[in-house]
Formats: sequence, C-alpha cells, structure tokens
Amino acid sequence: MSSSPQEQNREQKEEQKEEQKEDVKEEEVKKDMKPEDNQNQNEERKAEKWEENKKEEPKESWKDCIYNPRTGEFMGRTASSWGLILLFYLVFYGFLAGMFCLTMWVMLQTLDDNVPRYQDRVANPGLVIRPHAAEISFNRSDPTNYNQYIQNLHNLLQRYNDSIQERNDLCMVGEYTEQDNEPIKKVCQFKRSMLRQCSGLRDSSFGFAEGKPCIIIKMNRVIGLKPQGDPYINCTAKGDSPLRMQYYPSEARLDKMFFPYYGNKAHADYVQPLVAVQLLLSREDLNVEQTVECKLEGTNLRNDDDRDKFMGRVVFRVKVSE
Amino acid sequence: MIYKIQATSQGHFTRVQHYLLYSARQKPHGEFNKARWLYFGCSQLLVHTVRMPDSTYGRSDSYRVATTQDKADRSPKKKKGGTKDMDDLKKEVPITEHKMSIEEVCRKFNTDIVQGLTNAKAAEYLIRDGPNALTPPPTTPEWVKFCRQLFGGFSILLWTGAILCFLAYAIQAATEDEPAGDNLYLGIVLTAVVVITGCFSYFQEAKSSKIMESFKNMVPQQALVIREGEKVTINAEEVVGGDLIEVKGGDRIPADIRVVSAHGCKVDNSSLTGESEPQSRSPDCTHDNPLETRNVAFFSTNCVEGTARGIVICTGDRTVMGRIATLTSGLETGKTPIAKEIEHFIHIITGVAVFLGVTFFILAIILGYSWLEAVIFLIGIIVANVPEGLLATVTVCLTLTAKRMAKKNCLVKNLEAVETLGSTSTICSDKTGTLTQNRMTVAHMWFDNQIHEADTTEDQSGASFDKSSVTWLSLARVAGLCNRAQFKAGQDSLPILKRDVAGDASESALLKCIELSCGSVRAMRDRNKKVAEIPFNSTNKYQLSVHETEDPNDNRYLLVMKGAPERILDRCTTILVQGKEQPMDEELKEAFQNAYMELGGLGERVLGFCHVLLPEDQYPKGFAFDTEDVNFQTDNLCFVGLMSMIDPPRAAVPDAVIMVTGDHPITAKAIAKGVGIISEGNETVEDIAARLNIPVSQVNPRDAKACVVHGTDLKDLSQDQMDDILRNHTEIVFARTSPQQKLIIVEGCQRLGAIVAVTGDGVNDSPALKKADIGVAMGISGSDVSKQAADMILLDDNFASIVTGVEEGRLIFDNLKKSIAYTLTSNIPEITPFLFFIIVNIPLPLGTITILCIDLGTDMVPAISLAYETAESDIMKRQPRNPARDKLVNERLISIAYGQIGMIQALGGFFAYFVILAENGFLPSRLVGIRLNWDDRSTNDLEDSYGQQWTYEQRKIVEFTCHTAFFVSIVVVQWADVIICKTRRNSVFQQGMRNKILIFGLFEETALAAFLSYCPGMDVALRMYPLKPSWWFCAFPYSFLIFVYDEIRKLLLRRNPGGWVERETYY
Repeated sequence: MSSSPQEQNREQKEEQKEEQKEDVKEEEVKKDMKPEDNQNQNEERKAEKWEENKKEEPKESWKDCIYNPRTGEFMGRTASSWGLILLFYLVFYGFLAGMFCLTMWVMLQTLDDNVPRYQDRVANPGLVIRPHAAEISFNRSDPTNYNQYIQNLHNLLQRYNDSIQERNDLCMVGEYTEQDNEPIKKVCQFKRSMLRQCSGLRDSSFGFAEGKPCIIIKMNRVIGLKPQGDPYINCTAKGDSPLRMQYYPSEARLDKMFFPYYGNKAHADYVQPLVAVQLLLSREDLNVEQTVECKLEGTNLRNDDDRDKFMGRVVFRVKVSE
Repeated sequence: MIYKIQATSQGHFTRVQHYLLYSARQKPHGEFNKARWLYFGCSQLLVHTVRMPDSTYGRSDSYRVATTQDKADRSPKKKKGGTKDMDDLKKEVPITEHKMSIEEVCRKFNTDIVQGLTNAKAAEYLIRDGPNALTPPPTTPEWVKFCRQLFGGFSILLWTGAILCFLAYAIQAATEDEPAGDNLYLGIVLTAVVVITGCFSYFQEAKSSKIMESFKNMVPQQALVIREGEKVTINAEEVVGGDLIEVKGGDRIPADIRVVSAHGCKVDNSSLTGESEPQSRSPDCTHDNPLETRNVAFFSTNCVEGTARGIVICTGDRTVMGRIATLTSGLETGKTPIAKEIEHFIHIITGVAVFLGVTFFILAIILGYSWLEAVIFLIGIIVANVPEGLLATVTVCLTLTAKRMAKKNCLVKNLEAVETLGSTSTICSDKTGTLTQNRMTVAHMWFDNQIHEADTTEDQSGASFDKSSVTWLSLARVAGLCNRAQFKAGQDSLPILKRDVAGDASESALLKCIELSCGSVRAMRDRNKKVAEIPFNSTNKYQLSVHETEDPNDNRYLLVMKGAPERILDRCTTILVQGKEQPMDEELKEAFQNAYMELGGLGERVLGFCHVLLPEDQYPKGFAFDTEDVNFQTDNLCFVGLMSMIDPPRAAVPDAVIMVTGDHPITAKAIAKGVGIISEGNETVEDIAARLNIPVSQVNPRDAKACVVHGTDLKDLSQDQMDDILRNHTEIVFARTSPQQKLIIVEGCQRLGAIVAVTGDGVNDSPALKKADIGVAMGISGSDVSKQAADMILLDDNFASIVTGVEEGRLIFDNLKKSIAYTLTSNIPEITPFLFFIIVNIPLPLGTITILCIDLGTDMVPAISLAYETAESDIMKRQPRNPARDKLVNERLISIAYGQIGMIQALGGFFAYFVILAENGFLPSRLVGIRLNWDDRSTNDLEDSYGQQWTYEQRKIVEFTCHTAFFVSIVVVQWADVIICKTRRNSVFQQGMRNKILIFGLFEETALAAFLSYCPGMDVALRMYPLKPSWWFCAFPYSFLIFVYDEIRKLLLRRNPGGWVERETYY
C-alpha cells in the first residue's frame, strides 16, 4: 500500500509499540472497555434527556417563562436570585436617593430665603388683567353671563378691602419705600376704594351690567424691582374708532411707593398696585369685538418683547352684547 | 476534514505549511484501495448511542450545544414550494454520456465523429438550447438593495418610532388647538436619520460591489469547433450540444464534452472538484461517476497540456458548472449573526419600551389623565426608548471595521458580515494554512538521553540545557550543515526570528534555532565546505551532505544526515551520549523510541540527526562523492539527537475546523496526518481495526476520534448519521466531496448550531460559500462564481487575512457591545424626565430637541470612538462566542445601562434641573403639581416660591434653560460613561487612555454642548439658552460617582471570577 511518509512512520511506530510492549495492548483493551461503561452511562443519560425533551417540549411554553416548577424559577430566576438582585437594587437605589438628597440639601443651603439667586429672567415684569380671560365676552343684560368675571374681580380685590388696608402704612407718594435693612418690612396701603367706579363697592357688577366693564390691570411682583421714571398704564383700542376709557386711580399711575417688593416671607401682606380701566363702550360698540392693548409706560421696563406678549403689556378682547 | 483545535492541550498542533509540501509529493493516485475508506462504519455509528453534547465536555464541544434533532430525512430538503429545482440541483450530476459508446453519443446528438455538426443543425440547436453561457445570477435591482438598507434590521425600530410619532401628532392635532410640534419634529428627524443612514450604508456597499465588478473577466471566449468537416473558431457562446470540439493545452474548455480522442491531454479540474493534480483525459469510461471518469471534460476547466477532441454534451446552464452556478444563485442565505443579534436587541428594547409605556399608561389613567392624553404619553414613552443614534453608530462602526479590513486586503461585501468571522465556530476549508501561524519553530530537542526545550528567545535567556555539551554542539553542527535554508540578504539588522528565510519551513526553523543559539550558520558552513549533497526525497526520507572538517589538518570528511527518525536510527550503529560515541544497544533504542513517541505525541514534527567522520583511508582528500550512484557509506552512522518542530496554531482559530477537500481519501488522510489535522495518537475506525486486527465492524466507533468520510458516502447518510459524525468526532476529513456534498456538510454544521465559515476559490465551493454564514473567496485565484457567492474576498489570496477577519470581527463585537452600552445608558436620563413630568406634574426637565441633540449630536462621536478601542485581553485566545448564550445585548447590559449607570445619570440631570429652578425662585416643593399652570399660556402671573410672578414666556425660558442644563449634565455624566464603557472587565487604569478618537470625542461633545448652549441664536433655533458657568458643575459629583461605582464593580468582577457580580453585571 502506498502511503505518505508520515503514515509509514506511524505504522512502523505502531509495530514497534506492539512488539516491544505487549502490555500496551492490554491497556488498549482496558481502554476499550472503559468507554463502553461510559457509553452505557451516556446512553442512559441520553435516553433520559430524550425523554425529558419529549416530555418537556410540549409543556415548555410561555407559562414556564413565568414560573418553572422544576427549577423553581419565577421569571427566569429562583427566589434567592430574585431576592439578591432586588436587595441589591434596593440598597443601590437607597444609596442613590441618599446621595441625591444630600446634594439637594447642600444646594438648598446655599439659597437665600428672601431673594432668589438669579432674577435676570424676571427683570421686566409682565402685565396681567383681571378678570382672568383673554377674551371677555358677555351679555350685559344677563347677569349669569358675567357673574364669573365679577366674582373673579371680587376675589382679587378681597385683599384690598379698606378694612384690611387701613392696617397698612401710608407711604410717601412718588418715592420708593426702601427698607432693605429693616427686619420687619412695612406694607404700603392700597385701598380698594381708590378704584372708585371699578372698586366694586358701589357697583358690585364692576360696570358689567351697564355694558361698561372694568378691567383691572396688575403688574407682576418681582423682588427688588424699582421701576424708574413714573410708570403708568396706557391702554389703546386696536380699532378704527377710538374707545373712551376711564382709568382708576386717575392717570393710571403705579406709584413708586409700592416698590420694591421684598418677597413673600418678609413682605407677606404686600399688595401690588392696581390700575382699573373702564371701557366706556358706546351703543355702537356693542356687539363688536374690541381689542385693547395696555402697556406699561413712562419707565425703563420693557414692553416690546417680540416673543413675550405679556412683558410690560397685555392684550385682551372684549365683546359686549345686548 | 474536521479538525478541532483544543487549545488546552498541546497535542493537537497542526503543522501546516507542510501541507503543500506533502501534497506536492503525493503521486497521482489512481488505484487506491478505496474499499478501506468507503466504508467508514456509518451503520455501526447508530448502534452506539450518541454522546449528548454537554458543556462539561469542554471547549471543543461548545459549538454543539444548541442542537436540534430534526428527524426529517435529509435528502428531500424540506423547503417551501417551487424548490423542486433546487432539490434536483442538489442531486448529483445526471450525465450518462460517459457510459455510452462514442457512436451512441453521436447518434444522440445527430452529429458525426469526423464531420461534426452541419451548420444548419448547429443553428437549430442554438435556437433550441440557447447560447452556451451561464445565465448571470438575477441581479437585485438597485432600488431593492436601497430599500433593503432602508427597511432592514435596525431601521425597522426607527421607522416604528417615526410612525408612532406621526400618529401621536395626528391625535394631538385632531384634539388640541395648538398641538405641540415635538412629536412631528421627532418623527421627521427619525425618518431623516433612517434615510440618511440607509443612504450611507447603501453607498458603502455599492463601493464594495464596484470593486467586485472590476474582477469580471470581459474577454470573450473562443472555441475551435468542427462543423461540416471544417475547423472554425467561433465564439464559445455559439457552441451547441453535439458540436465536435478540439482543445489543446492552455485552452479553457468551452462546454461539457465527451472526449472521443486525446493525446496526452490533462485537464485541471481544480475549480470544479478541488483536486489540485491535473487529470489525464482519454476516451475510455473509467468510472461510473461522471465527475471521476476520464472521458468527460468540463466547461470552464482548463486543459493543461496535450490535445483532445470531444463531442459537446451539455452547454450553458446544463453543464456541471452551470448547475453549480444555478444552485448557488438559488440558495437562500440565512441572516448574519450580527443581524440576529440586532434583532434580539430590538426585541429587548421593544420589550422594555412597551413595558415602560404600558406601565405609565396605566399610571396615567389612574392619575386621572384622559384616554387620549394617556395614549400620547404611551407613544411618547415608547418612542423615547428608541435610541435614535444607534443605527448610525452601528453602521459607522461596521464601516470603520470594513475599511480597516479592506486595508488588510479583506474586502467585505456585506457590512454585517464584518462581524461574522469573529463568531465563527467552524471553518470549512481545504487550506490548512489558514489555521496556523505559518511559522515553524523548533520546540524540543532530544540528546544525551534527555528531552530539552528549545530556547526561542532572541537573547537566549531561556536556556534550559548546557550549551557546552559536545552532543549539543554536534547536533547543532548537523542541523546547521545538513540544511539548505539560508537567510535572505540584507536583514542583518533584524532580529533573527523576524528574518525571512529562503527554504523549506522546517529547515528554516532549524536554521533560526541554530543561528540563535550557536551564532552565524553561514560562518559554520564556510568553515565546513560542502562537497556533496543528497537532497531530501520521499523514498530515502533523509537528506545528507558531506563536508570538510573545520580542522585544516584533519583531512577526513564529515557526513551529516537528517531525516525521519526511525530511518536515521536504522542507519546508526552508535549513538553520541555526553560527547562519547556508544554502541546503540536496546536500552538506548528504547530511550530513543520513548523520546520519539513523546515528541510525536505533542503533535510535533520530529527529525533525527546523525553524522559520521568518514575514514580517511577509504575517502581520501579529493574523493569524488557521487550522489546519484551513492559510492560512500550511508550507514553505520553515529546518532546525535532529535529535534522537533511545531507550527503553532493561531490562537484565534475557531473551535472546529472542518476540512473539506476534493482530494482522494488516502491523500487527504495522509495530508491530514502530516499536518496534524488528524493528530498523533488519534485513530480512525479503520486504524483501530488494523491495529487490533479485528474487522472494522467490531470496532467501537466511539474510540475513534478521527474519521475520514468519503464524499460519496455522504449521499447515503441520513441527517442523524451526519449529525452523529459531526458531533462525535473531533477530527474529521471529508474527502472527494462534490459541491453538493460540501453544501450538505455546511448545512449539517449549521444544524448543529455552529456558525460556519467556508473558504474556497473554485466554482465547486460556491454553493457552500453562499450557504455558509460567511463565505470567503479568493480575489486573485477565485472564480467569478465563487466571488459572487462569497461575503468576503481576500484580495491578495492570503489566507492569513482570515485571522485578521476573526480578530476584527471579535473586536467589533466587543466594541459594539461597549458602544451600545454607552448609547443606551443615556436613554434613562432621557426617559425619566418625561415620566416625572407625567407622574409628579413638574415642568418638563428635558425636551425632545435636547434629547435629539444628545442622541444624534454629542453621543455620536464618543460612541463611534469606542469602535477604535483596543481589545482588553487577548481576544484571539478566547473561544468563539456561543450564539445561544453570548448575545450582543443581554439583560445584564440593560441592567447596567438602564438600571444602574442610567439612573445615576438621570439623578445628575435632575439635580441640575432642580438647581436651576431653585436658583430662579422655584424650589422643588413648589414644582410638584405645578405642571398644568406652568404650561398654561394664559397664566402670566404664576407665583414662585418667593412670591414673584412669572409670565408664560419667562418661565418657559427658565424651563428651556433647564433642558439645556439637563443636556449639559448628560454630556458631563456621559464623559464618565464613555470612560467606563472602554472596558468591560479591566480597569481604565489598566486599559489606559490611548484611544485618541475617544479623547477627541470627549472634547468634541463638550465643545458641541457649549456651542449649543452659548451660540447666539440658539434660543430661537433650538430653544437652548446659555448656562451660568456654575450649572455645568451640577452633574460632576454624579459623573464621579459613575466612574467610582463602575471601577469598584469591575474590581469585584476581576477579584471574584464567576461570582455574583460577574453573573449579574458582566455584559
């Protein structure tokens, strides 16, 4: 038989091996025996496995994924495994929560109680109207129609009741009420009655019943804000015909004495100045939607931001029907 | 041949470069006693039970764990309708003409043995049968390829996300007056990401296929046909059945022909059968099998020498080659492993997303949200789980690897195939050189009756024996002199081990060994001038040379000899022990025998060395040594010692290498044994039978680790039998395999759960190449068909590049894991803000735009940079991954990324959020439940904790500043995340920060974050606002915590291998 050199080597070796060491053969025989044993075991094992497979396969469904009774696994884990991982996450998240609280606590410690650290985003206060609605539309002859509006106004003016305001101090008109170093800040008086027709005292419907509704304009509170100049509110109707309007207090001034504000902790009873504007709608103006824009004027505060339509100004629509 | 490398034992080393050497030495093998091989005891196999695969059987069995017992009979392939043709193609060639007489063939084709066809007949046949050309495989239209990129794999997830977004927007638009545009934008962005990534990978693959096209051989073939008695040269496409053709040496055979006369004709069938030897052709039928018989020559094989005349019996697609090509193009390939992994990943992600979505949907309903709102939340949460950037990251990572491989001459046709080689567990190849380092080195020596380990260190620091021993010096002298290898010029500056050697591999190994330990071999050779030499040949099995001695006064000649140890021993009567010549007695012979067995048992190639000083009286100075007709003594020599060499296997090689060859079984087995594929000590059933002198049927096949299967036997094996063979033998040789059988082997391995790589160059390999998980074809020698079928092409035909492929594949798999872990982590800080927004009604901490800025902006470069990360350990020493267990993304990765690191990150982001709001006046206590008023456009006097009042726009600016800060915080915590994701086990301090791209990524993401925050106009464009410098530092403690936490985790991981930490957190 022709074969490769390697093979011949091997054959020779084998011959030598067999000649020289006969016991090798015996060993070989033994070796031959052993695998048989193994094999039997394997056979059994295989048979078992086969049976297992056969038995299990139909059963091995999604139910086993949830609870496997053979291994005691619930959702792929044994109870102790679940316990351990849950314990780990409990401890881990507990630690994280602790760390988060710690950092938050440290951060809060650095804050001032009375003045927020940054006020650059509220440097220019916004204007808001009451009643709180972008479009005020009602039938003047039907009180249920405008009841919510006057209720809203009454609520606002509750804090301005003369009885409450009389407890507050009278301040110097036209001057800031600066009291940075005083521990107890005084509050300047703003009586509801100053709004006269729009105070809701004499006419509890704020002119809504007559079709001449009062709108109250307030400027947002900003701590430490001291508007320069002589701030006042100026409203204009955005229509063809000029609308007659009456301001209370007269000249629609936001008096400087109400500034600065010291925050709700130090200045708890503080009330911001209000301006009421009564739209003196004529008969022709009824049933027509009136758009009114009120602006904060006479001061350095901005009222012409492109994006913020409520910074130093406010636009609202009024439609009174009969 | 199936060959498994068990890296644990040294006994299975391959000696591979001898493959070619030996195969070249094989004489053409016609008359082998085939019976011995044919009946490898398949029937007995079934008598014995199958050892169930079990991981405890060790690494070599690991690939077999996931086996499925498919009891269906193999041969009728169970495939869906319309595959009858495929089954037909898988059967063997139906040619019968070789058994007919020439006259019968002539009659069949209405042709004449002298005159050939008439032109009219030829034209008729041409119309009937069509041109003699292979139908090109149906090319997929470009738009289909594009759509595949657009809608395949990962993209589905993003598409689903995008559709959900549009759905949510539609609901919002239908129910709300001023719907928030977020969902619309998100949907658009998701769509854009998918489309852009799809285009990117489409163009990437188009580039590869352009390189492919350049391979196409455009030269039209010519054929010399005899029609109406005249020889005419026509275009090969016009050849028809029945044509009488003449071929001569150098021609390509234009169709399948039945040889009618031949003069010394030899054809090279290697591209069809894989046989490397040219085969002679003659008119006689020598074998029933048309592939084996000598009277048929096949289309597109080459005629090497001589001339032949034959009748065309098949043309075009009906030729043997054509059938293979059609079979190949008809095969459906499975998904790539990485595609399966990505699918698995999508399942996990979808599971998590739906779980979170449904949980919070229910919660939202309980909290009193309306159904529609809850549905919007549900969609929002599901979409938030979609890692928008991951598709691009994965694509870029794969592309980078593909480029890196292309630089090393591995062209990857399909991006996803980049990873496949890394997870390959079985290689089917007939090129053994693939598997070893191709660097034969001397491993052991035996002299003075002792085995010494060779010192292969450059500075000879590892010497394990006395270098001054006379025996050693003699051995070194013999090894140095009886050696034709020499260093190539101009390498003196290089370390010896790195120098190039001209000569045979084992001689080079000896040369280097002697050069290392004894100094210049050239000087030694100069001192001992060579007078005569008999080179190695396979009959002598030795090599000898005669030299002058070093001593000028000594006029004797020195005869040195090396060769097969037992042959050398036979020629020796004495042996050199401790420098003294002693008579060779039985004891010493036994010592030799033991040493030889031991070294051989290590799988090493052993050579024996002997010498003799020729007596001066018989061989005086100037004696004319005749090497042809040996006129001098070549026995009674003095044995000096043994040296053994190994070609270390590449550590990277997969578990099992299945070697499939077209060679004859005897040749195949001899080669297999020669190169260690069937390792020393392992026997086939036949070997055992021969040794024990018992019939083959009595041998327990369990004892035989090795087996040789003849290709034709494969036909008769059932699927179970096939599985048994693959499962129960560690070293299998498949010989004489046809293309169809190669396909069966590949399918068999895949059935056992292996990821199979097939290498090949011939047409015969192409079905297997196509079916394999990754087919590797040769760029230069490979046929077009094989290149078409392959997924990867070795441009320089260097099989060593496969190792590059394995390495790159494993590395990219690891690094993709890291990338995904990194990218997924930031999902938690992106989702939790929305969850808290819903549950505790705080202003939204992180918006859609900022989420997109993270996913598609800052996270991108660091995630991609992880693809450049170097391996943590020697990935080549690892076992190939088990596709059933080692997933790209597993629950542990999710647990780490989502449950642990992600949570820390979320806290970091929330901390920044609370800091900003608190410093602007909104303390945390004020925030809870504020959402409805906060988001109400008409509320323009919202009071903060200090009593200040805010307009909608003012507080929104603060909110968007919070988004920016949250975004920046994620960037800050992602610094730590990318650093911890660099390694999965090692500490960063072990791994180092050498990844320059990663460092660049860190700076890039920071710069991008700063740009997005501070660039003027960003407030309008992306609603991102400048941050106060202090806000950048909010997340620093959390970033630090992430780093420390993970370093501790990895420390525990390394300290307690297999411990709880590893089981729960090692991804």
